[in-house]
Formats: sequence, C-alpha cells, structure tokens
Amino acid sequence: MRANGARLSTPPLSEPRPVSGSETPAITCQNVWQVFGNDADSALKEVLANHPSPDDAAGELRSKGLIPAVQNASFQVQEGELFVIMGLSGSGKSTLIRCISHLLHATGGEIRIDGENIVEASAKRLIELRRKKLGMVFQHFGLFPHMTVAENVAYPLRVQGVKKKQRQAKAEEVINLVGLRGRENHYPRELSGGQRQRVGIARSLVADCSVWFLDEPFSALDPLIRRQLQDEFLEIQAKLKTTIVFITHDINEALKLADRIAIMRDGRIVQIGTPADIVLRPVDDYVREFSKDVAKGRHARVASVMETGAGLAYGADDPGLRQDMTLDAALARCMELYEPVPVRSPEGNVVGVVNPADLAAALQVEQG
Amino acid sequence: MAFLTKGSVAALIAAAAGALCLLLESSLPWLVKFPAAWVLPATDWAGAAMEWLLALIKPTARGFSALMFYPMEAANYVLSNTPWPLVICATAALAWILGGVRMALMALVGLGFVLASGYWPESMNTLALVAVSVPLALIIGGGIGILANEYPRVRKPVQALLDIMQTVPTFAYLTPLLVLFGFGPVVGLIASAIYAAPPMARNVLLGLERVEPEIKEAAIMAGGTRLQQLFQCEIPSAGQQIMVGVNQCLMAALSMVIIAAVIGGFDDIGWEVLLTMRKAQFGQSLLAGLVIVIFAILIDRMSGTLTQDRREKHDPRIAWGILAVGAAASAVFWGHIQQPGAYALFNPVADSVDRGLSAFTTANADVLTAFKNNVLFYVLLPLRIGLDQAVLPFTWGFSWTPMMSLGLFATGAAAGAVFALRGQLALGVMLLIAAGMLETGISQLPWPFVLIGAGALAWVAGGRGLAIMTVALLATILVSGLWERALLSLYLSGAAVFACTVMGGAIGLVSAVSPAVWRVVHPICDMLQTIPLFVFLIPVLMVFQIGEFSAFLAIIAYAIVPMIRYTRHGLVSTPEEMIEAATASGATKWQMLKDIRAPYAAPSILLGLNQTILYAFAMLVIAALIGTTGLGQSIYLALGQADVGLGISAGAAMAILALIADRMVQGFAEERRKALGL
Ligand SMILES: Nc1ncnc2c1ncn2[C@@H]1O[C@H](COP(=O)(O)OP(=O)(O)OP(=O)(O)O)[C@@H](O)[C@H]1O
Ligand SMILES: [Mg+2]
Repeated sequence: MRANGARLSTPPLSEPRPVSGSETPAITCQNVWQVFGNDADSALKEVLANHPSPDDAAGELRSKGLIPAVQNASFQVQEGELFVIMGLSGSGKSTLIRCISHLLHATGGEIRIDGENIVEASAKRLIELRRKKLGMVFQHFGLFPHMTVAENVAYPLRVQGVKKKQRQAKAEEVINLVGLRGRENHYPRELSGGQRQRVGIARSLVADCSVWFLDEPFSALDPLIRRQLQDEFLEIQAKLKTTIVFITHDINEALKLADRIAIMRDGRIVQIGTPADIVLRPVDDYVREFSKDVAKGRHARVASVMETGAGLAYGADDPGLRQDMTLDAALARCMELYEPVPVRSPEGNVVGVVNPADLAAALQVEQG
Repeated sequence: MAFLTKGSVAALIAAAAGALCLLLESSLPWLVKFPAAWVLPATDWAGAAMEWLLALIKPTARGFSALMFYPMEAANYVLSNTPWPLVICATAALAWILGGVRMALMALVGLGFVLASGYWPESMNTLALVAVSVPLALIIGGGIGILANEYPRVRKPVQALLDIMQTVPTFAYLTPLLVLFGFGPVVGLIASAIYAAPPMARNVLLGLERVEPEIKEAAIMAGGTRLQQLFQCEIPSAGQQIMVGVNQCLMAALSMVIIAAVIGGFDDIGWEVLLTMRKAQFGQSLLAGLVIVIFAILIDRMSGTLTQDRREKHDPRIAWGILAVGAAASAVFWGHIQQPGAYALFNPVADSVDRGLSAFTTANADVLTAFKNNVLFYVLLPLRIGLDQAVLPFTWGFSWTPMMSLGLFATGAAAGAVFALRGQLALGVMLLIAAGMLETGISQLPWPFVLIGAGALAWVAGGRGLAIMTVALLATILVSGLWERALLSLYLSGAAVFACTVMGGAIGLVSAVSPAVWRVVHPICDMLQTIPLFVFLIPVLMVFQIGEFSAFLAIIAYAIVPMIRYTRHGLVSTPEEMIEAATASGATKWQMLKDIRAPYAAPSILLGLNQTILYAFAMLVIAALIGTTGLGQSIYLALGQADVGLGISAGAAMAILALIADRMVQGFAEERRKALGL
C-alpha cells in the first residue's frame, strides 16, 4: 500500500530523508513567525533585534499583549513526503499551515514552495499558485452550501475558466476516486459527515495539486469512518504522490500516516522526527505524553533500535530479523535469546545488529 | 460615599438638582424657562447651511430627478395599462412559485379585493413607485454592505451611520428632499429608496460577516480572484440573511412611499387615505387603508418565503398555466372588461360603515367621551403640566393647594424612605424624584434638572462617555430653541412608552404562561408589524377624532408589539436546566416566574423596551398628522412650508432623543447580560 520506504531510514532520524529526484525541497520554512495583535510586524522586528533567543522574543511579545502563535518555525518537507503536525489545541498548528498556504501572511521569516518565496509573492502569483499547485482540506469541510457536490468539486476549475463539459468530466473522475459516485447532484446538507469530507477531499484534488494541506480533515468524524477514510487517503496518496502537510490531534493517526512528525507546543516546534523517533526518543515530557498510550511495539521498527557500522559482532542464532519489522514482531522471534542478533535488509544482507535486551528496553521507555 | 452604589449616587445627585431647582424656581425664573436671549439661532444656521449645500447639489439632483422620471413613468405606464387579469395572474403565478397553493390563493383573493374596492389605479401608482425605488435601494444598500465588508476600516463608521439613519424620523428626510427635487413623486421615490437602503446594507453586511471562515478560505484556496470569491461563494452563502434584507427593504419602501403621499401630487393610495381622512369619510379611508394592508401582507409573505431555510419546489408549469389563463382572459374579454377603477363594490359597505360609525359614536358618545376625558384629564394632562396646574375645580372638582404639594412630597419621601431603609436607596430616591416630576409636569421640568438627571442616568447606564454625550447632545437641543417642543415630544412618547411597557409586558407575560393566548396574540402582532405606520391613524381617528388622545392611542398600537414579543420571548427562553433545577427545588409556577424566568428575561425585555421607544418616536412624527404638539408637529409644519432649517433641526432633535434613549437602554441591557454571564 505504501509507495515509499520512509521507515527504512537509519539514525540519526531527525534529518530530512533523502528523496529521489529533485534537489529543492517542496516546502521550506525558515524562521517563520506569526504574531497576532496590533502592529505585529513592527513589534516583531523590534523584539527580534533586541532578543537573540526566540523564546525570549516570544516572551517579550506576550508581555506586550501580542500573541506569538507560531515562533521561529524552521523545517523542510521533501517532495512526496507526508509531513504531520501535532500538538495540543491552541498550539499553533492551524496557524502554521495557514501561513504556508498563505491564508495568513507570515509576520516574519521565509516560506518557500518549490524554491519560490511565497511570503513575497504578488496577489496575482498567489492566485496562480493556488490554481496550479496548492490544495487544501478543511476541518469543517468548508463546502459551499448553495452548490451541489459536483459543482463544489468542480469549483476550482470553474474559477480558472475551464469549460463546463471539461470540468464536469474531471469532477466526475475525482468524485469516483473518493467513492461518491451517484451523489453528484446532492447538496452538502444532504450528506453525512464522512461524505462531506470526501467532497472536501475531491475538491482539493480536482485541480491536480502537488502540495496538499489538510487541517484535521478527519477529526469531525467517528472512529470507524475515520479509519476507512485514512486507508483510502493512503491509497490516493500512493497513486498521486503529492507532498502533504497534515494536521491531527490523534497520535495513532499520525503514526499511521506520517513519514515525519512535527510536535508543536505554544507556538514552538519542539521536535521533528520519524514516528519511531517520537515514540522512542521523545525530547521532553510534553512529547512523551503524546505517545504514552501508544502500543510502541506496533509502530516502532527494528531499524530504529539496531546498531550499524562495520565489524559488529553477533551471536550464532539468526532469528531472521528484518530492519522493517515492528518491535513486537522482532521481540516475539528472539524471546529466548540473550546474544546480539543480525538484522537483514529485504535482500538478505546483514545491515545491522540488535541486542534483544535493547528491544525489550525500547518498549519500556516511559517506565525507565 | 464609598458604600453607595453607582445608582444611588446618581439618584441622589438628580434629586439634589431637582430640589435645588424647585427651591430657586420663584426667584430665578430662567431655571424653568430657558431664556430666549441665550438661544442660538441654530435653526436658521442649519437652514442657511443646508440651503447653501442644497443649492450646490441641486443641479445634480434635478438632473437625477429628470433621469428617474423615465423609469418611473415606464413602470407606471406598464402597471396601469396592463389589463388587470394579467396583473393578477402574474402575481398569482409568482406567488405559486414562491409558496405554492396557499400563497397563490392569497394573492388571488388579495388582489381581487383591491380590484373590487375600486382602488386599483391608485394601487398601481403606488406599486410603480415601489417597483422603482426598491431596486435602487437594493443596489445602494447592497453596495454599502459589500463595501463595508471589503474595507474593515469603514465598517464602524458605516454601522454608526446606519444606526443614526434608523433613528431619524421619516418625515425629516422629506423636507430637504422636497427642496432638492421639487414637488412631485420623485421625492417619494428617493425618500423611500433612502429609507429602505439601510436595512439592506445591514443585512448584507451581517450575512457576509457570518459566512463560515472555512468557506471563505476554501474559495481562496480554490484560486478565485476576490470578485469570484465574493460573487460566487460568499454572497450566495449569505443568501438567506440577504433575503431578510430584501424583505425588510421592500416593507420599508412601501411604508415610506405611502408616508410620502403627504407631499401630494401623485394619485396614489396613500394620498387617497389622506384625502378621505380629511373629508371624514372614514368608511372609504378604512377601505383604502385595507388595500394598503393587503399589499403590505402580500409583499411581506411572498418575499418572506425567500428567507426560509428549505423551500419546497413548486412546479413552474403551473405558474405558466396561471399566466396563460390571465393572458387568455385579457385577450378574450378585452373590450368587455371594465376600467379597473370603476369597480366600487364596497362603496355601500363603506357608506354603511360610515353610518354605523356615526350611529355608534352618537350612541356611545358618553362612554367614549368619558374614556377620552378621563385619560386626558387624569393621566396625560398631569403628566404634561403637572398636578399643580392640571388639578382644577372644573375637571377634578377641587383645586391644587400648596398643602397638597406638601402631602405629595411627604408621601413620596415616606415611600422612598421605606425603600431606602430596606437597602434600595436608589429606588427610594427615584420615587421622590417621580413625586417631584408629577408635581411639575414633564413639559415644565427645569432644564438644569433634566440635563443633570439624564446625565446621571446615562452615567449609570454606560459610564462617563455616555453621560458626556447625553448632556452635550441635550444641550444642543436646549440652545437651539427647540427645548420646549422636545419636552412635549418626550412627554407624549414617554407616556405612550410607559403604557406600552405596562400593557405589553402584561400581555407578553400572559402569552408566555398560556400558549392558547399566544396563539391569538401572535398573528395579531405579526399583522400589526406588517401594517405601514400610516394606517394606524385611521381607526383611532374614526372613533376619537383629531387630537392628542388619538395620537397617543396610535403610538401605543404601533409601539406595543416589540414589548409583547420580547417579553414573551425572554420569559419562555429560560434554559431548560434552570427550570429543572428550580422544579427540583420545589418552586411553584409563580416562584419560578418571579425568581428564575424574570431575571433571566431582563436583558430581552430591555431590548423590547428599546425597540418600543424607537417605534414610539417613529410614530410620534406620523401622528403629528392628527394632532400632536412638539417636534413631530414642527417637522410636519416644516414640510408644508418647505422650511429646511426647521425640518432638519427638529428632525435632528428627534433623532438625538431617540439616540440617547437607545444608548441608555442598551447600556442597561448590556449590564444585565454581563451580570447573567450571557
Ligand atoms: N486571527 C487570530 N487572532 C488572534 N489570535 C489568533 C488568531 N488565530 C489564532 N489565534 C491564536 O493563536 C493560537 C494558535 O491557534 P491555532 O488555531 O493555530 O491553534 P491549533 O493548534 O490549530 O488549535 P486546534 O487544535 O484547537 O485547532 C491560539 O492561541 C489562538 O487563540
Ligand atoms: Mg486548528
């Protein structure tokens, strides 16, 4: 189902994963700030000039009655990567994604999409970017109540002046892709929550975007529908290979979908890493709290705990560990063993060594 | 003084000012009557300034007037020359599309009545004016709403302007327009467009502001230009609210077109009412009034369906069918149909109403006169000139003596003291003040007391800013020489508002307790709110003739509705869990009403009071037609003499009174809401 092999990466895990093809990352954020309040622009400039540390600067802004909703965010998202942003309510996730899609004008910093600085882009260029490159799905769907499903989905083509026949055909195609065939002429109010979100997804896909923003797309839905939509979402992603920035509250959703996860707290990004990083190597208690109830063995892979390098010794037993096995599966195979065992790549070459004791320890992280 | 509440402090200050004025009254007569020498000729200034301004834009206005002449003539020509079967069937077809069988039948019966009454041509003239002024108002109002939405900077000033326009009495628009555009129907047209645009602007702005942020963002992310976002997504999403604006716009336009009939020169239905009223042909004027009511109801109900959430679809083929029937009927009977004005089926009815009416009034003359005189002599007159002058041997059977004054004050003081001792000092002092006002009469209150008292009240309601604004605005009325008239207006509307509050509150209360009563009251309220202001004058005039009492009744009939509605709404919308909690504590129905529902309803009732005050002021000016004194009369006189200065300043004074009352009541309502944590 998954098209890319993101989880095969080796430590250190927080580096962006090398991606095939293009050199420029799809999204680059460099010291992005979003401050709400009066005269936020000048206040931010002044504060940054006086305070070298972003935390001090944010504190100073707060004491002036401003809200630093995003502070000094820097990260890159590679082409085709699925980047998840997590954090408590009010931590600035939506604000950050709105900065990147330029629904909000970032107060400070630089945001590049395919190398192009969009903070400075003209209004005309932004319209063009949104027509050709960017798609967005909203938490509460944001469907137009006066348009049918088909009209909603075709709307991005309509604003571009695409002929009615053509846009209907294209809309039909994505409506089928999200499994809404036969509902074309319904109005949003006649659909269930899950169906409405499919419309939202279809609408964001109709113009063939290459960067896709999703702000808690599934959180208004019940768990069953949510799981179903997640699976379909992954299928669509496997087909289309777009770059995705995805916001969620739900750690299980994040672990299931993400190539990498960024955790936000009060406007700061506190950790960026692979799902295994977040689960096994949380940088602080805040991050640890997120993954507390996660069944780690089912999410972390052997690759995240094995040692690599030349000349590592291992014992005679070979329980047949693969680097992309989950910890649970691996542990089941070497329950009885005490010596380090080899880990092999899918081709059968030994790529590292793991000590069964480390496997067990990794699963106990929070007790330790 | 730290232990005194804000209210007590204000009441004490006002009482002290009143007492001081009362003591010094005899030695310093200028305390009561503002010296003429201090009056600034503000009316003349306003007149001169306006004349200058008007002269400046007059050529443009006259040009515009000439331009509007064509669409008006065209609308008029079309409406009065289309055969009536076609007009009726076209309306019914439209009604079918909008609301199905019921609506179509309503249109048929309603227009049938209009036809039979013989007022068809006059009605078509009125409709022609509405048909031209409404699109104008929709465009202006819609434009203002959209611009205010696009430029947040201008939103606040625009909203303030709309607020003020709502308080300026309708007649006050007319005088400057008369000077600008000259006598003729164009004035009515423009006045109605100006009057009808604000509700549209308000609702468009409200609708656009309330569009879900995600819908706006979705339109942005789809790559729409600003115009595409606005016209393809935001405006259609705000459709329902905008349709509320269209409905209100239509009703306001109709109401104003009819009021503008007082200018004359256009043979419309409002003019017909005025004419028959002047000739004391009440049967006929009632008939014409009914025709107006029918139009108001039809327009309101038909456009009201547009504001509904989910409308049923009605087969357009039937509409075409109805239209075809109309066309066929017109063609077949072309030579045979009578001139629509020639039907006068109800004339006998009207005559018999006249006869019956005079029979009724003669038969019941004693009762009616007694009723009227009792209210006049024992309520209105004392309120106006005070007990000390109103109590005469001729009416009351004895004359007012200083001893009685002393007795009145002693009673007030005693009652006040009782309340003060029970911890309600403010209420106690207010009782004392009320005694003083009853003694003096509202129209003869010393002006320093009014300024200080109003300032103190405003301070309690909305803090220092409101107090300063109140005193400053009242002072402008004072120095512009309109003070006495303003007090007269204040007295009549005050009396009417008080009556509305007591009666409307009671009706609202009963409606809240008994659903059966509400089923009767509800449609009456709907009806009263649809009827254009003007029509209220007819029935009161029929029974009580021209005079202040008739005006008083007309104001009450019009202004009581919001009080009823808001009182009931406030009382029935208490959250369920509060009721359950009270029931669980063993409260009786009456205790529940007193302890739970009433406090919770207070903000809503205050809003009702606010609306009632604004309605009363609006009607006060219209009621000047049948005899009131005060600002309303001045505005009306100014209209007759095309005296822009007087018209503008009296209109402004009226607006000031309304504005102050509005802000104060809003302030109190806000405070109550905060106290309840709403
Ligand atoms: N337009 C605004 N004006 C002022 N403050 C804002 C604005 N938008 C967001 N904020 C503030 O910025 C902070 C971050 O808000 P944001 O919506 O990004 O949170 P979030 O992480 O998306 O939360 P949630 O999970 O509840 O959606 C909050 O404290 C919020 O109050
Ligand atoms: Mg959010």
